[in-house]
Amino acid sequence: MNMAAGSSNSGRRFSLNGSKLALALVVLILVYQVVIPLAMVIWTSLKLERPGEAGFFDLSFSLANYVRAFGSRDFWQATWNTLGFALVSTALSFGLGTFLAWVVHRTNTPFARLIGVITLGRIIIPGILITVSWILLASPSIGILNRSLEALTGLSPILNIYSFWGMVWVHSLEMTPLAYLLLSAALQSMDPRLEEASAVAGAGHGSTLRKISLPLALPAVGAAVMLLLIYTIEAFEVPLLLAGRAHFRVYTTEIYFNTARTPTDWGLSGAYSVAILILCAVFLAVYFRLVRHGERYQTVTGKDFRPRRIDLGRWRYFASAVSLSLVFLITGLPFLVMLYASLLRRYQPPSFEVLQGMGLSNYREILDDPAYSIDPLWNSTLVGLGSATAVMLLVSVMSYFVHKTRMRGRKLIDFFGFAPVAMPSVVLGTAFLWFYLLVPLPVLGTLTIIALAYVTRYMAVALRFVSTSMLQIHSELEEAAAVAGGDWWRNFRRIYLPLLRPGLMAGWFWVMVHAYRELTIALMLARSSNRTAAVIIYDLWENGSFPQLSAFGVLIFGLLIVLVLIGQTIGKRFGVQEQV
Amino acid sequence: MKSFVSFLRACCLVYGLLATSFAGQVYAAAAQSPEAIYAELAKLKPEDRAKRIEEGARKEGKLNFIHTFRGKLARDHVRLFEKRYPYVKVEMADMGSQDAAERFIAEETAGRHLTDILSLAVPDLPVILKQDLFANYPTPATRRVPKKFEGFLDKDNRWVPWYWSEHGISYNTNLIPADKAPKSWQDLCNPAYKGKVSFDPPETRFMVGLYVMMGEDKFQAWLKCMGENQPIIQRGHTQRMNLMLSGDHAIQGDNFLYVGAEEKKKDPKTPYAIVYSAPILAYAGVMVINKNTQHPYASALFSDWTLSDESQKYVADEFRGPLIGKHPYLPDNVKVVTFGYVGDDVVERLHGYWNKYIGKKK
Repeated sequence: MNMAAGSSNSGRRFSLNGSKLALALVVLILVYQVVIPLAMVIWTSLKLERPGEAGFFDLSFSLANYVRAFGSRDFWQATWNTLGFALVSTALSFGLGTFLAWVVHRTNTPFARLIGVITLGRIIIPGILITVSWILLASPSIGILNRSLEALTGLSPILNIYSFWGMVWVHSLEMTPLAYLLLSAALQSMDPRLEEASAVAGAGHGSTLRKISLPLALPAVGAAVMLLLIYTIEAFEVPLLLAGRAHFRVYTTEIYFNTARTPTDWGLSGAYSVAILILCAVFLAVYFRLVRHGERYQTVTGKDFRPRRIDLGRWRYFASAVSLSLVFLITGLPFLVMLYASLLRRYQPPSFEVLQGMGLSNYREILDDPAYSIDPLWNSTLVGLGSATAVMLLVSVMSYFVHKTRMRGRKLIDFFGFAPVAMPSVVLGTAFLWFYLLVPLPVLGTLTIIALAYVTRYMAVALRFVSTSMLQIHSELEEAAAVAGGDWWRNFRRIYLPLLRPGLMAGWFWVMVHAYRELTIALMLARSSNRTAAVIIYDLWENGSFPQLSAFGVLIFGLLIVLVLIGQTIGKRFGVQEQV
Repeated sequence: MKSFVSFLRACCLVYGLLATSFAGQVYAAAAQSPEAIYAELAKLKPEDRAKRIEEGARKEGKLNFIHTFRGKLARDHVRLFEKRYPYVKVEMADMGSQDAAERFIAEETAGRHLTDILSLAVPDLPVILKQDLFANYPTPATRRVPKKFEGFLDKDNRWVPWYWSEHGISYNTNLIPADKAPKSWQDLCNPAYKGKVSFDPPETRFMVGLYVMMGEDKFQAWLKCMGENQPIIQRGHTQRMNLMLSGDHAIQGDNFLYVGAEEKKKDPKTPYAIVYSAPILAYAGVMVINKNTQHPYASALFSDWTLSDESQKYVADEFRGPLIGKHPYLPDNVKVVTFGYVGDDVVERLHGYWNKYIGKKK
């Protein structure tokens, strides 16, 4: 294999100690964790028989599932709708996320850290609760905001959450933290000298952000836009709860309507997955073209480098007020609705009578049975810690081979690392269940099988987090270390991992939090002893207790905020330090 | 070298133990299949049969069960059984009926007989029935099922019905006074309720119930007029019920009635009423035993217990539909239309009608 170190300006043969072993390990894990499930999905999409039926393993294939999936005019109408929904939502969440990341990490805005923590707090609240909270806030009939506006203006109803713009609003707020995290990772590793040069040349803050900071963060911008688009196309909770009443059908609801029957139509599901996979391949190709001049984004070099914040002067108070208002809308308002609902026996709009009847009975009932509250929270913590750490280490090595070597097939590693984003959770969960039913490893019913599935599920987004940071690191650092005689693993551990800290921490946090939220895979692989917090959320939801579900959401929120603060404290001890 | 030889010996020992254990299992399974055991049990007098089952279950000591009740509801049900039969340890997973069916098929197809018994909704049975995965289990326990629910029984004894689920019409009494409320399914087409009636996205069970009650032509006509009345389509039975009780909309065109009834029990001021004059659509929840169960006696014990007074009282106390005894909130004179499953071709047509008249309206 022809492997060459250095991004694009070095043709040096790639023969560092340990690297071949690491590469072999990465390839093996990719085959085991991604290629096999992916092959199962593609195979199923080409079969008319269900898994388990006679003929499923025969070498006769059919395109009938594809014809069924894409043959109707309604489907293409839904696809067109989805495109509009995805573009508007992506633009809004990208704008909000970028602004918040810049304010928090690149300026001296007051309460910046608080703004950052509250933004991240949004990821912690389960998606179902957020969507329902917005229904309770902006439903034309019972929305608290609508009632307040009616009292003020006499007009009713002003807001309608059951509309295209309602969907865009809720989904954009859902996605803003992802854009924030990706851009944060890039902005934290920005070389301040380039911005200072811009300022010396007379450019204002906005102009510097537009012409210097964002172009330098192009890999992060590209990754953010790509992930936002894909996640919006795959968005399920918001369309399912709001789109029906908005009379608006999108890709995922169309898939749901066409496949959600007993028995599940695996062939049709597989065909849809392959279509999303092809879309991801196209996005990835565009992304690679965008970042083809990798050396242009290398802001972390051998020279002294410490990120420094921009002084906004008096504008810092304005930036603080705008940002605090935004994070109040993104996290604060839905959290308050959740907190309010958690104190009720039955959800009712606020009134004096309702406030009098508030109490902590929902919390007592949940905590009354540790097997149903503490144990699943502990399971989620273990799964989150394990899968987040494993996946971040894995994608760090993958990203190194993709962006810091010129070996043949490196883009294939990126493609397979990114491919799981195209596999719906239900398909991925089934693939893992089937695989471990056939392979007699003792993981069924354990937390290990869920953690393994999560490694695959979150590999794509984790890879983008780390790739963004990897592209910012100049290869001269590794070359200098190699000259000094360090072996590959030591150099990787001592140079790359600390410098990747912003991307690693952001990605780790994302995966960790989603281990509490991810439902479909956890449900499919759950048995008596490996229930996670998400399974409890679903049970509470199914059993009809929105107030109890809210109470559980508040408990998760509190726990994860503590974990985030611990993580931030630990993270501050390593990696690039800020210049005060 | 010496240590390598020791390692090889250890491997051989472990392999030998595993092989012996596996062969033992195969032998045990081959000695008498669950269905053969059940056929023998069927020849015994009820008291002898019960004694034999209990003895067998005591020896097995374990049961792997998939419950389609969820969370605490499922756990408390199983705890009752474990309290009654403390020598049987139940390993339980709880999930939706459709997921349970899919998982069971996957396990059996892979040759991993991990589940002994599972609870399923009858409309989800056909896919498993096609693969012949259920044990024939004749049991005197089903003699207790009253005549009005005999339609839930299977002549081939492949399942034991133990509760029933209901779909019906309900409304928010703050938004609609009783005299203005709908009285029948057909009333939902009344223009007075335009944009006020909510449904889940197309749901096979509900549509099959209406199909059985109305017949195909009337069902199609009803969907057509419902479509013209601009129904609210929103995913999530419980969520829709909660939203309706909060005043978000007025009428549930299709929902489980127990959610609102439970709320009303907790808080009598809850603005909830059921339309008793419209027939209730009912399907059974049944226990099915795996043809390859590793614990045939414990499975039989659990299956029979679900029809016991103890289990049925639990079902009623939790506001689900018991087969034996009084229903917790439905009056005796309410009309109940029972249904099971229909052919794939019918299901396909019903979904087609939904898409034509309701689903595709923009």
